[in-house]
Amino acid sequence: MKQKFYMLTIVVIIAIIVGGAKIHVNITSPGFSKLKVAMPMFSGPSDVSLRLWKLAKKDIEISGVFELIDPGTYLHQGPVSDIPTGTLKDWDLIGADFVMVGKADKKGNGLTLKVTVVETSTADKVLDKTYICESDNQPKMVHSLMDDFLEGSIGLKGIFSTKLACIADNGSSKQLYTCFPDGSGGCLFNGLGKLVLDPAWSPDASKIAFVSYKRGNPDIYVVDIKTKSTRLVSSFPGLNTTPCFSPDGRHIAFTLSKDGTPDIYIKSLDTNKISRLTNNWATDTSPCFSPDGREMVFCSNRGGSPQIYLKEMSTANVTRLTFKGSYNTEPVFSPRGDWIAFSHLAADGHFHIAMIRPDGTDMVVLKGTAKGDESPSFSPDGRLLVFASSDGNLYITDITGNTLVRITDGKYIYSEPSWQD
Amino acid sequence: MKSYVRRIGTLVSIVGILFFVGCAKKPVEQVKEVSPPKQEVAPVQEVKPVQPVEVPKVEKKPEVKVPSLADQIKEFESVDIHFDFDRFNLKPEARKILAEKASFLKAHPGLKVRIEGNCDERGTREYNLALGERRAKAAMDYLVFLGINPERISTISYGEERPLDPRHCEEAWSKNRRDHFVIIGE
Repeated sequence: MKQKFYMLTIVVIIAIIVGGAKIHVNITSPGFSKLKVAMPMFSGPSDVSLRLWKLAKKDIEISGVFELIDPGTYLHQGPVSDIPTGTLKDWDLIGADFVMVGKADKKGNGLTLKVTVVETSTADKVLDKTYICESDNQPKMVHSLMDDFLEGSIGLKGIFSTKLACIADNGSSKQLYTCFPDGSGGCLFNGLGKLVLDPAWSPDASKIAFVSYKRGNPDIYVVDIKTKSTRLVSSFPGLNTTPCFSPDGRHIAFTLSKDGTPDIYIKSLDTNKISRLTNNWATDTSPCFSPDGREMVFCSNRGGSPQIYLKEMSTANVTRLTFKGSYNTEPVFSPRGDWIAFSHLAADGHFHIAMIRPDGTDMVVLKGTAKGDESPSFSPDGRLLVFASSDGNLYITDITGNTLVRITDGKYIYSEPSWQD
Repeated sequence: MKSYVRRIGTLVSIVGILFFVGCAKKPVEQVKEVSPPKQEVAPVQEVKPVQPVEVPKVEKKPEVKVPSLADQIKEFESVDIHFDFDRFNLKPEARKILAEKASFLKAHPGLKVRIEGNCDERGTREYNLALGERRAKAAMDYLVFLGINPERISTISYGEERPLDPRHCEEAWSKNRRDHFVIIGE
């Protein structure tokens, strides 16, 4: 039953302080198994409880650490709303590490969901709480409780309530789109132009930088998520593309071609001063800063093919990181600075998401969909990656490649996902 | 066989010359005036099957239809130049097309052109935006080299966002790796 991680020898230890206690979760060691969760159907009005249960199920799937035990094997078939003492062994018997039960109730225009999660080995209640939501906020409510579950059970900060930005193509226009990591709560940003590309979050997740052809040229704008007000950041002749915020949120680096070949520049949002970061005959594009802001990765074809380079911000030092493959692009730093993910043209002729250490070692290629995967972006805790596949959907994988979940619905053709910091 | 072909070729060129001379009520005499080597002219007259090319009928309406400017612009915009995968160097065919475009632009100094650089779907979106720009710039640089004022040329990259052929095969990709030219007026 236990699903072993033999694919990698890399061990990632995430240490997070929760309530004064340090919990170490070794999520990618060879001996790690996903934690088994039993979650019988929630009780309550069947339409509501099914919808909520399905949302919780999807979060378990994308979590990278949990795995739902097939409900068909449960000794207690749903709906189940509580776990009486004495029944815990029945959940233990089917291999559950955690049991989650819920009871939904309609309340006015909204509803409530009382959730209990018990760890079978200790009989500890890791979660016992009633959640309330307005009528249209069911995804938000479920993501909030799943965040509490992730934190209460293994001490990982929840990622289910964070947001993804991406581009949604309806066949006639490409628009900025945001949603939760499971694909729920989709929100289309209209009015930014018919061709919108390259979304990138500000570090505080209040703004998104993007490229729009609204004025007949690829220019860079920033939109405020709440007020929807936009600000034109860069509109030189030629390219104004691939924006990324600095870790302090006060600068945006991007690609300009105003002085000849595409190079990387940085603009202060306070003073509007622009400085040039690369100056090369080749194409330099797709900058992304390390979390401490001391380094920047980018893509350049200065060696004859597009490869990943790392620049020290305080010096002129530039180091080439990738040597495997003839086409490596779109690098992004992990939130802890220990990995750089990028799009890699692999030997099978398809693009795959790959990762490499900032010193150019340990390159790994993730299997992904094997249909052509591009444009990786790390989850805020660095355990997961979202990317776009050539089938027009977004997928989430964990960094071991062991989890692969399609998160979009096919309503649009999705591309260029960016996970908030 | 070879000489037969050459003879037909000679006839065709003679007929072509006649057409441009634009009169020739006595085509045979005109042929003589062109004074091709005798030994070749004689056989021409013998090549009966080719005779149905009725030159005199064409001659009766000698007006050469000059396409309108709108048609010429349409023609100008209908010819793209193409690139190899992940490359932006101009191939000989592309340079030939650009030379034609330069002549047209020289003949119409009031017109401006926008060069739109495009890529196929392979490669990544971000990199392709830059590649498209370099393709457009490569064409612009060549037009400038051929004497077109850079003030008359603008470039834009659409990366892989505007495929001409949406299929996923080399035939489509080779069409999509292109610079498209749009006349944007004065």
